[in-house]
Amino acid sequence: MDSVIRAAFGYCFLIFMVRIVGRRPGKQMTPFEFVLIFFIGGLTLTSMVNDDRSFSNALVQIVTVACLHFLIAAVKVRSVWFTLLIDGTPVVLMEKNQWISENMLEMRIADDDVMAAARDKGLLSLEQIDYAVLERNGEISVIQMEEAS
Amino acid sequence: MSGAGYKTAPVEDSISKVNDELAVGADLKFQRRWWFFERCVWVLFLLIVIADLLGCFGRGYFSHAAQKGPAGVMDIQYERIERFSTPSILTVHFGPNAVRDGQIKLWASGSLVKPLGNQRVIPAPSSSVLENGGVLYTFPASPHPSSVEFALEPATFGAFPLTLQVPGTDAVNLKIYVMP
Repeated sequence: MDSVIRAAFGYCFLIFMVRIVGRRPGKQMTPFEFVLIFFIGGLTLTSMVNDDRSFSNALVQIVTVACLHFLIAAVKVRSVWFTLLIDGTPVVLMEKNQWISENMLEMRIADDDVMAAARDKGLLSLEQIDYAVLERNGEISVIQMEEAS
Repeated sequence: MSGAGYKTAPVEDSISKVNDELAVGADLKFQRRWWFFERCVWVLFLLIVIADLLGCFGRGYFSHAAQKGPAGVMDIQYERIERFSTPSILTVHFGPNAVRDGQIKLWASGSLVKPLGNQRVIPAPSSSVLENGGVLYTFPASPHPSSVEFALEPATFGAFPLTLQVPGTDAVNLKIYVMP
């Protein structure tokens, strides 16, 4: 029972932490974010495993995390509110080639991050972007401005 | 139903749009509430870090404690706040009045062994006897001040009373909190 509780707590706590820390670790992952993810994951693992290194403990905890993951995915499909809570909502960063400063600041996204996504799409400069959206998975989607005909 | 027997449903344009052209599904009202919640959580995180630096979760300034016993008999240094499964030392400093017939006797309540997880006593007692729901330790001693250390490693978490007494003198009652 102890193993199940520790695994469940560790899983929920990690979801909460990643949600609070922000969406950048999702896709725009730099070495700075790698450190965060591995460090938090490692520290959580320490308390989850405790001094029980048995196969039974590992099995029970993996199964617990799998069940919780399934449960959360199932509830997410059925509840928009729950999806918002777990994944958040897409956030528009640039609209009609205008930065939305509040969203950029709150999501801790720099214009360099948007430009990196733009380069990924073959765009040469920020002026070519019509919309930039920070997706729920942390990726920045860039919509190219239509060419004036 | 489709021709292949699948259940089907018509596509509804339910995703909210920006400027009536880009379907994003953004919910800025929710997002603003979430940002507010995030700020509150960051304040809480900061308080947790400060509390830990001060030792409110053990191993810091506020967790170290000292309790004076009967004059000339014993003083105790201990961790008021312990951590589950984490080693710590409880030290009993004996005064000259604790020594009788070249030995010191110390009775400790049962909580020292079970919840607080006493691992060893340094120096090792010459005898330890179960008595009155606790353990009576006997140490050979000189009249000079001496001390005994108990290496604790709590096996569970919660608040636990601990009583230490040199027989024939007043008992010293401690309360030790063990964090999960």
